[in-house]
Amino acid sequence: MRQPGMYSGMLSGGGISGRTGPHLLPLARIKKIMKKSSDDVKMISGEAPIVFSKACELFIEEITRRSWMMTMQGKRRTLHKEDVASAVMATDVFDFLATLVSDSSGSSRGTPPAAALEQ
Amino acid sequence: MADEQDRLLPIANVGRIMKQILPPSAKISKEAKERIQECVSEFICFVTGEASDKCHKENRKTVNGDDLCWALSSLGFDNYAEATTKYLYKYRVFERERANQNKATSVEDKDEAPRFDKGVQPGKEIDTTPASLQFRVLERGRTSLAKPS
Repeated sequence: MRQPGMYSGMLSGGGISGRTGPHLLPLARIKKIMKKSSDDVKMISGEAPIVFSKACELFIEEITRRSWMMTMQGKRRTLHKEDVASAVMATDVFDFLATLVSDSSGSSRGTPPAAALEQ
Repeated sequence: MADEQDRLLPIANVGRIMKQILPPSAKISKEAKERIQECVSEFICFVTGEASDKCHKENRKTVNGDDLCWALSSLGFDNYAEATTKYLYKYRVFERERANQNKATSVEDKDEAPRFDKGVQPGKEIDTTPASLQFRVLERGRTSLAKPS
């Protein structure tokens, strides 16, 4: 009763199966982040991280695309964090990120600045 | 340190998605990846908060996929809402088919009506239309396996 076309189509589309396999983002980590977002969030259905795995993928694609436009405007080939900041400022729907990207020190990461130079 | 990383998605995964839509010759600084890592976590919290508020107002305890799709639309991410709604629909169909197969291959002689939609996970809202089709499959299975033990 298997319908390989349907399953393989879904799997190749970054779809749904087992562990983190075809998912581009780890579901368990997504769930952790959701729980930390607020004390009000107590129960999360099994499908919620799956919805986010898709939504986050779309989000990363959009913010990267917009950041890259800023990079190209500066006639550069390396995408820098300033390009991300510019993209956020230029996009209404990314207003919620304005404070985050304007924090230029990024000290909340806890990563020593020297580590950022290591490639 | 571990706690810090727990609130972010892995940088390798984030970087991979970024690379997929950039030209092959494009380079991404480590700081840019880290910044986008942080933005994604903020995005998750932002949308979850909105969905959670909705559940709270409706006296529901579990945030489900539909709540997230609604929250995406409510916050201005209409195109994401549409794509994730379709994705969620496919996931539910997939899960239903998989549950169907599991039931068909390990049939136990129960007199109860098929309840694999319930008791799997609370908070899952699945429409009942396909359930009637699955019910038919079970009946077929039971008939063919109706042998004296």
